[in-house]
Amino acid sequence: MRILVVEDDAEAATAMVRGLSEAGHDTTHAVDGAFGLLEAQKGGYDVYVVDRMMPRLDGIGMVETLRKDGDQTPVLFLSALGEVDDRVAGLKAGADDYLVKPYAFSELIARVEALSRRRETGSVATMLKVGDLEMNLIARTVHRAGQEIDLQPREFQLLEFLMRHAGQSVTRTMLLEKVWEYHFDPQTNVIDVHISRLRAKIDKGFDKAMLQTVRGAGYRLEA
Amino acid sequence: MPMRLPSLLRRTPFRLTLLFLALFAAAASAILGYVYVASAAEARAKAETDVRSELKTLTGIYKERGFNALNRALIDRSLAGGSFVYLLMDPEGNRITGSLSISPIEELQGAEQWVTFPFTDTDAEGRITRPQVRGVQVRLGGGDMLFVGQSMGDTEAYLARLTQALWAAMGIVLLLGLAGGLLVSRNLERSMGRLNKVVTAVQDGDLKARAPVRNSGDELDELGQGLNTMLDRLEGSMASIRHAGDAIAHDLRSPLTRMRAKLEVALIDAEAGKIDGTEALELALSEADDLLKTFNTVLAIARLQAAAGSGRTPDPALFDAADLAADMAELYEPASEDKGLEFSAEIERGLMIEANQPFLAQALANIIDNAIKYTPVGGAVMLRARRRSSGEIEFSVTDTGPGVPEGDRERVIQRFVRLDNSRTEAGSGLGLSLVGAVMEAHGGRIILDEGPGEYGGFGPGLRVALVLPAAG
Repeated sequence: MRILVVEDDAEAATAMVRGLSEAGHDTTHAVDGAFGLLEAQKGGYDVYVVDRMMPRLDGIGMVETLRKDGDQTPVLFLSALGEVDDRVAGLKAGADDYLVKPYAFSELIARVEALSRRRETGSVATMLKVGDLEMNLIARTVHRAGQEIDLQPREFQLLEFLMRHAGQSVTRTMLLEKVWEYHFDPQTNVIDVHISRLRAKIDKGFDKAMLQTVRGAGYRLEA
Repeated sequence: MPMRLPSLLRRTPFRLTLLFLALFAAAASAILGYVYVASAAEARAKAETDVRSELKTLTGIYKERGFNALNRALIDRSLAGGSFVYLLMDPEGNRITGSLSISPIEELQGAEQWVTFPFTDTDAEGRITRPQVRGVQVRLGGGDMLFVGQSMGDTEAYLARLTQALWAAMGIVLLLGLAGGLLVSRNLERSMGRLNKVVTAVQDGDLKARAPVRNSGDELDELGQGLNTMLDRLEGSMASIRHAGDAIAHDLRSPLTRMRAKLEVALIDAEAGKIDGTEALELALSEADDLLKTFNTVLAIARLQAAAGSGRTPDPALFDAADLAADMAELYEPASEDKGLEFSAEIERGLMIEANQPFLAQALANIIDNAIKYTPVGGAVMLRARRRSSGEIEFSVTDTGPGVPEGDRERVIQRFVRLDNSRTEAGSGLGLSLVGAVMEAHGGRIILDEGPGEYGGFGPGLRVALVLPAAG
């Protein structure tokens, strides 16, 4: 995956480029919004990771310009500001996701990968299939190896998100934000408990455990 | 105070005065013009009526008593004076008798012809006047011609006096207006100067400067009061920001000290071979994360308190608190049951509020999390959301844990306060402070009460209620 990192803090950028490269992504770095815009206009990127505050052209300006030019490449905003209005402003400008600094590296990679995946599955699917796990989005039923699994509405949403990002790590914060649609710190591991209930339903009685815990990151659904 | 005209001309009140004076002059001219035209028409109509009636009398004399009688009558009338002028002519237009030497009409067209012309005369004091005369010339039965006219001189003089009076009035108005304009603009300038002085003082960094208020209720006084209120607010939020800054610095010292101590212990342990380097780094990382979390919470509290100081909820949205409560119940129920607590929720429908949703969710999360954390296995946690009889919206979380002694309830809302028996649990001691700050920023309040009481080794429990104003 080709990633463009637009970040004026050299140290943060170096760490980011290194981390993303080690995760197997082809990463390019631009030092501010103006250079970022030039680089982005060359095309060929799967995700832009853009710092919100930069000299010359800031992140909001850069993303607004890209969107006006018709560039729909997913954008992950990075910002030291964590207030709600900042997040709303970022999303309004055309960003697809928002991550507040400082962040865990696993969180950044998980979100970048989730963004690129979202573009691939842009078409409307009625069935999701991961290994022998099948989800019918119309009938809202789930089967594993032909055996029906009874899920609560929230468990269904949780599994749907995991299946759409099968093979990728997703963090607890991502799950709270994307499945429950809340932005706050739940203090305790409430998400873990929901995951373990879901795991009990989809993995219990099967040889292969599909819903895996990724240490230091979150969870991953494996085929 | 010396007044230079150019600077005076720039003043709004003075410019307005000039504008109004110009408008007045234009209106006065229009009225004058109208009066002039109307009076002239009236004078002319009056002259014509008089002339016609005189003509009727004279032609009557001519018809009844003949040419000589008319001639005599004209001579008598000319000698008697009066406002009429006469001229009797033979058929060729030669003067026979009358006060005119020659007719103003060279050749009579038709039976009668009207004309207006200036007539040279002398008034009672012997001065030469040239009043306008309106007259008519007719051909009499015998071919002779008669001209009868009347001076409109009186009207002319009246109009001249009227014009003069109007000009004089305009002059007085102009003078008074100008003087008034100067006075008003000087007064206004003085009042504005006072306000400007405050603005300049604030610009120069003196936030204590205030405009004098006379309570006269005029616009400038209102402006001054508005300026003062604004400055009060500004001073208030500056103070709360300064206070927040001090508080943050103070609040972060203890967690930093704690982190440093832990890292030192980790280093000693690593050197002694009790733990390896990776483990020590992982510990350091998790300590840094905790510290960041604390920092974020402290910052959030500071911002919320600043928001409360300015009386504005940050990013409010209108939503149903019942949905939020239901989502929180759904989110926390599994964790609660996993710990062996009975979890229940009682939520009324339709609880619209205007609030910052993420902050309110955080506040609820904190009190539910506290309840789960401090209630021993086998206990119960209950979440309620309802409308109070006062109309306010109330969220409450009741547990069967040890509760908080009455004397400590105020204290636990303060920052970093942790009661002795809770020191074994993880936590920064900021949870309830944040809840308190969220309530403050929403114009709401937090109430700590005893729970359901003691029974079977449980209790007395704690009931934490968040009371918020309803939307609308």
